[in-house]
Amino acid sequence: MSENNEKKVHGIVAEYTSVDSLLNACRRVRDAGYKKTDAFAPFAVHGIEKALGIKPTVLPWIVFGCGAVGTIVGLTMQIWMNSIDYPYIISGKPMISLPAFIPVAYELTILFAAFGAFFGMWALNGLPKFSNPIFTDPRFDRVTDDRFFLYIDAKDEQFDETGVRQLFGDTGTEYIQTVVDDDSSSKVPKGFFVAWAAVIGISVIPVLVVLKMRLTKSSLPRFHVFFDMDFSPAKDAQQTSTLFADGRAMRPDVAGTVARGDMLIDMDYMTGIDMEALTQVDARRAERLVRSFADPLSQQEDGQPPSVDTEETSAPSKKSTEETEGQEEATGEAEPAVESTAPAAEPSVMDTTPWLTKNPLELNRELLERGQTYFGIYCSVCHGLNGGGNGLVNRRAQKILATNWIPPSKLNQPTLAQDVYPDGKLFNTISNGIRKMPGYAAQITTRDRWAIVAYVRALQQSQNASIDEVPAEEQEAILKQQAEVKMQLEEQTAAEAAQDNAKPGDN
Amino acid sequence: MSEHDTPAVKIADDPAFKLPTYLSSLSMPLCIGGVAVLLIGWACGSFVSAKFGMSAYLTAFMFCLTIVLGSLFFVMIQHLVRAGWSVVVRRIAELYMVMVIPLGVLFLPVLATLLFGNGTLYNWDDPTYAEKNFLPLTIWTEKIRWLNQGWFTLRAIFYFAIWSALAIWYFRQSVEQDETGEKAVSDRMQYWSGPAIMAFCGATSFAAFDWVMSLAPMWFSTMFGVYVFAGSVLAAHCTICITSFTLQRMGALRDEVTVEHYHDLGKFIFGFVFFWSYIAFSQYMLIWYGNIPEETHWIFERQLGAWGWIGIILILFHWALPFLGTMSRHVRRNAPLITFWAVYLLIMHYVDLYWMIMPEAGSSMGGFFGVISSLFCVVGMTSVMVGLVLRVADQTKIAAVRDPRLQESLAFENI
Repeated sequence: MSENNEKKVHGIVAEYTSVDSLLNACRRVRDAGYKKTDAFAPFAVHGIEKALGIKPTVLPWIVFGCGAVGTIVGLTMQIWMNSIDYPYIISGKPMISLPAFIPVAYELTILFAAFGAFFGMWALNGLPKFSNPIFTDPRFDRVTDDRFFLYIDAKDEQFDETGVRQLFGDTGTEYIQTVVDDDSSSKVPKGFFVAWAAVIGISVIPVLVVLKMRLTKSSLPRFHVFFDMDFSPAKDAQQTSTLFADGRAMRPDVAGTVARGDMLIDMDYMTGIDMEALTQVDARRAERLVRSFADPLSQQEDGQPPSVDTEETSAPSKKSTEETEGQEEATGEAEPAVESTAPAAEPSVMDTTPWLTKNPLELNRELLERGQTYFGIYCSVCHGLNGGGNGLVNRRAQKILATNWIPPSKLNQPTLAQDVYPDGKLFNTISNGIRKMPGYAAQITTRDRWAIVAYVRALQQSQNASIDEVPAEEQEAILKQQAEVKMQLEEQTAAEAAQDNAKPGDN
Repeated sequence: MSEHDTPAVKIADDPAFKLPTYLSSLSMPLCIGGVAVLLIGWACGSFVSAKFGMSAYLTAFMFCLTIVLGSLFFVMIQHLVRAGWSVVVRRIAELYMVMVIPLGVLFLPVLATLLFGNGTLYNWDDPTYAEKNFLPLTIWTEKIRWLNQGWFTLRAIFYFAIWSALAIWYFRQSVEQDETGEKAVSDRMQYWSGPAIMAFCGATSFAAFDWVMSLAPMWFSTMFGVYVFAGSVLAAHCTICITSFTLQRMGALRDEVTVEHYHDLGKFIFGFVFFWSYIAFSQYMLIWYGNIPEETHWIFERQLGAWGWIGIILILFHWALPFLGTMSRHVRRNAPLITFWAVYLLIMHYVDLYWMIMPEAGSSMGGFFGVISSLFCVVGMTSVMVGLVLRVADQTKIAAVRDPRLQESLAFENI
């Protein structure tokens, strides 16, 4: 005992032989007012926390809080990644589409809640704790087998060695022991450090290998960990394949395929031709046209492109190309191409096609704005934003003196006016192209092509308009704007002139 | 081995195990009144349309059937896992599970509508349905191989045969044990619980396909059976909770069912609220993501008009609110509170079934008569079921009085 007194006292432990005596002792200790107590048993004992007077843990709140954080992190992470940092449309869904985010948010909720429960429990129990002075008592080993122990910590406010021993004595225990400092060596075995160092050393190797690969140069080919991910066996567009009889990797649409929302069996609307009239003039051509829309494949098998006007435009376009090229070489100027191809554009003996003379869509602001948008995207690069035929591509062609360049038409020229160049024909030109202009049927939907037709008509009118045609209340604003632009232009020319004058002076 | 003093096991003839006389006197009025209300409900619905009336009837039928099947599952799973805690409330589930027999009788009107009507309830029964709706005939001929009067009826008999056999056998064994108290009975019930659950799950899943999913014959979801099952088990736990609370209020089982049992029932209610949501969302998300018209139309129809609002109600009030409401241990350990949530969730379970079934009866909720019809049908059908439960309960004990694990159940404590 005297030896024990020199050491620090951690607390006092008592041994019991049954659960009931342990529970009774717990209640006695709790009622005596001790707070820093602990009970040890070989198995979980129901109600022991009540017997010991342990307050309900805050762990559930920690778990709940962590779970809520997990949900928020999951949602914000996905919204940030998928719709702000790197907006990417997947399956045509909206950028922020909650259903797709829920599984990840759900998993993160569980992950964070589990971490909260696991680490929260450790923190609340003061873990990890590698040793406890109570382990010094060999009798305590039986707590894993058939003995029960109750412990009062010396840090308890009421702790007093004799008082505690007396209290324990009253609870019917046969063994009371003061828990003192563990005097065994606290030195960690050397082997532990060696093993630890070895683990750290091994774990550094992959990092070093990666760093070496990143920082040094090598003439060896790259090492492919996942070969078929680096070189996907999937075919790209326009590639060949031995799998199909036609040798194409890209598969054409199944016969009769119609894009969703395009289920319009209105041939007039789709071709720009009055089909009733065409049937009377040229029944065979009408039939071929319908076939080409119903089953594009059969046309291709015949070796005929599914173009609407195989007869008219192909022949004159060849001719016109030659003509234009000759003309361009002669003049070296951007000359409107259409003038030279007037025979094709004008209603002539050759063009017997009964084109639709009127846009089948209802003209309104919305349609015109749609047409404006799509004109801006597809047409303006060549034809210019005002339809004047001087778009960016044309200017570049002029600059580099491209020899085979056919200048795009000025859309406001009289040969393209509504009465000589019907809406249907304009629609057909947009759809299937003319001369060097390719067809846009594949890129622009039918409706949008008609919208462009409507917008081109508006452009034509605007380019040839006089101020009197503008409603009176808007005339003033336009005149004012005109004056401003004129003034700006004058200022600009004056400034340029001044600069030009200043330059020689410097020299 | 616990903080509480363990209550002693009472003798089998103790009044605590007898159905209170007030409740047994309610049996007849509930049955008769229930049938009357059910008929009025059906008539009101038929006033909207014949299809609406039968659909309202089917919704009420499915409400009761899901409770009954959930109870059957509850009993079998307790035996399968050799559960000790549930012994004091198991008999309540056993009383509900034998109601599968009267429900078999109540299914006859549905079969009659099928056999004598012309697509009155199930569209596929209408021979001109495919033609009228421009359905692809290659698919349709395959569909009606499975969905035709004869095979449908045969399957229905088969399902009820499985359920009834399981329910009667488990009920008889349990009542037999009330007399003998033999441990061998418990062992026998446990021995057969594995195959029994497999047979039950197969029958229940296919019944959900047949009776609810085939209302929209072109639609399919392999998860649908699990979806109905999730709601079913939730409803059964709620019903057990409500019934034991009512019995205790009336003076029976006062010492037997403790706060610990409510706590466990509450845990299962909480768990199955989430399981239902998990299954419902999984079904929705796969369809939403796949975005195939054949699959999306069922959900799309349920996003239009009033159905859309009911769908939102289900998300907020069948998942979010009860999920948060029953999350706390303090709520689950408070018998009146968890019973409140059980009643609430039973109502939401009905809304869930309504959302599954009624949109197939028409594009609206049927106006005043439609709402009255739906309400009366479910109230009537439930009354009949509860009346019959009380009648059976009156002739037997309301707890498994000689179960070898009764002591364990009484002493049960949550940590």
